[in-house]
Amino acid sequence: MKEVENTVTARRTGSRFPLDGWERSLLALLVVEIAGFCIGIPGFYDGIGSLLGLTQNFLPFGIVALGLSVVILTGGIDLSVGSMAGLGAIVMAEFWQGLHLSIWLSALLGVGTGAVLGWINGMIITRLNTEPLIATLATSFIYGSVGTALAGENPPAGFPDSFNALGQGEVGGLIPYQLILFVVLAIFFSLLMSRSAYGRKVVMIGYNGEAARYSGMRVPRVICSAYVISGTMAALAGIVLASYYSAVRPDMGDILLLTTITMVVLGGVSIFGGEGRIAGVVMAVLLLGVLRQGMLIAGFSDMVTTMVTGAILLTAIAIRNLVSGRGTGFALLFLRLRRLGGGKVPEAAE
Amino acid sequence: MKASMTETSGFKTVAPSVKDSRATRRARRETREITLIVAAVVVLLAVGAINHRFVSFENIRFMVLNSVVLSLVALGQTWVIATKGIDLSVAPIMGLTAVVTGLLAQGSGLPLIGAFGIALVIGLVLGTINGLLVARLTIPPIIVTLGTYSIYSGLIFIYSNGTQVDQVPAAYAAFGNGRIAPWLPIPIPVLTLAIVLFLCWFALGYTLFGRAVLAIGNNAVAAYNAGVSVISTQVRVYMISGVLAALAGLVFVCYTGSATVTTGTGDHVELQSIAVALIGGTAIAGGRGNMIGTVLGGLFLSVILTALVFLHVPPIWYSAGEGAMILVTVTLGMRQSRAGKAS
Repeated sequence: MKEVENTVTARRTGSRFPLDGWERSLLALLVVEIAGFCIGIPGFYDGIGSLLGLTQNFLPFGIVALGLSVVILTGGIDLSVGSMAGLGAIVMAEFWQGLHLSIWLSALLGVGTGAVLGWINGMIITRLNTEPLIATLATSFIYGSVGTALAGENPPAGFPDSFNALGQGEVGGLIPYQLILFVVLAIFFSLLMSRSAYGRKVVMIGYNGEAARYSGMRVPRVICSAYVISGTMAALAGIVLASYYSAVRPDMGDILLLTTITMVVLGGVSIFGGEGRIAGVVMAVLLLGVLRQGMLIAGFSDMVTTMVTGAILLTAIAIRNLVSGRGTGFALLFLRLRRLGGGKVPEAAE
Repeated sequence: MKASMTETSGFKTVAPSVKDSRATRRARRETREITLIVAAVVVLLAVGAINHRFVSFENIRFMVLNSVVLSLVALGQTWVIATKGIDLSVAPIMGLTAVVTGLLAQGSGLPLIGAFGIALVIGLVLGTINGLLVARLTIPPIIVTLGTYSIYSGLIFIYSNGTQVDQVPAAYAAFGNGRIAPWLPIPIPVLTLAIVLFLCWFALGYTLFGRAVLAIGNNAVAAYNAGVSVISTQVRVYMISGVLAALAGLVFVCYTGSATVTTGTGDHVELQSIAVALIGGTAIAGGRGNMIGTVLGGLFLSVILTALVFLHVPPIWYSAGEGAMILVTVTLGMRQSRAGKAS
């Protein structure tokens, strides 16, 4: 029987190369994909600058995915990331326009709002003992309404150029600010989840919440903090989106949810928690993002791209399940049955 | 022969525990249904006191009729959630059926019976794909239906190709809005819902299949050991969900006379149907399904949303009301079940 895959054992037995099998295959796919697009799609490769510039179209998704993967690692889910992104951006815009605060201070307040919204999610989940799916489903409706109400009929638009540079600008005309932000966040999250006590606690809770509780962890507090992180990242992504469009809309976060869950899961994070690494999520973000941009440049419609994304998600997870042998409870069941079947042979021999 | 023997004997061994929990479960179920009915009546009376038109026959008929589409989807969702699964792809299945049947009726005058056939085929095929992916490939349901959500909504886009349904033939409109008989003012969609509800209620509570669904939701491994055919039951559950979503799409296009690319997915029917099932007392952790509660939940939601219109609440707050309702009913349900456990 194959050993149940676990990040801890993987690090002990694995090579020095900081990626495990799944992430290496994602990386290989990414390289093949970029190379294939550069050769196959005319207009895709137009200098390094434009290639890097493409990332501006999808990195907000990546920022949300980083925060969401912390929540999914605890075994929860956050359906409210979309509405938190919208609400965070709107709060920022209203502070800027209504109270004439500086745009950067407003942005900080917007991110803070995201943290508070995430904290509310966490409190509902831990204090009221609600399933994360239900709690965040409910709060996504509520946050969405609040956002729409705050935005009013004419949401603010036309932010200062210095702020718009965050979403649209590049350092030296080459490296987009968004990319720098994403890389910094990705490194931070990667270290947080793999090298800090906090990250190990999150993974432990996702792997076995009861065991974590018996070992003396303050499980509710860690779970709550995961939702705070997710809310903060969602609001940050909303603000980056606002700067990219130089406008805010209450429903602009709606597209984030399904795509980011796809990214996190494709990145190798188990939807049941306790398994997966940030490096994989980063690979999946780049893989899906580049795929989308490539297909759009090649002239496919948005919906076809979405369909392909869905098909890739299903194929990837099916392959992963078949390879690792650890899927849902049923896969374990079949493993057990196979073992039973295998166990009969020596019995008969005896 | 041998297989059926093991099945029955396996079933017997789990029977006592099922019976035990059934006693407590039944009590809880009734409280949820009574709570929903009482709450709906309170809202009716309170808002009716402010605006008498709220309790007029026409308005009550409208509220019931308005809940049919969502309740149909939610009934299918209840089946899936009872097995500890979740079906996000109901929204595009509903939308695809609405667009395909509507466009065929509009363009080539497809008869209503043909529309039923097409809806059945769409629901069965797409639901079976979901079910096979969940049961055969053992991919978690939320991921499967997330993936098929994207794929099915792409199909709507490809099929409709920029066109949309603006009007439907008279037969369709009669099915969507007409009454059963001139002297009996019950709308046909409501009758449809009642028939589907009866079938679902009976199948879940009083057939082997229904017990198998609940057993899988409680503990899939135990159900397997007890002789329940886990794979085929799961596939069937997703087929039911698909067919009911498709039926809801057909009712939708008949009722409103219109369908666009965003029908279903635009209104987040998948999230709403989960909400309705949860309000109705179905446990997201599986093993408990309440068909009557689901329909009452849909009805209650419709009453609340209509009440908000009558109270001149701006439409932007409707979804917040919905969210608050989910939180309140679900956390209250938790309290109840915990109190039941303690006693």
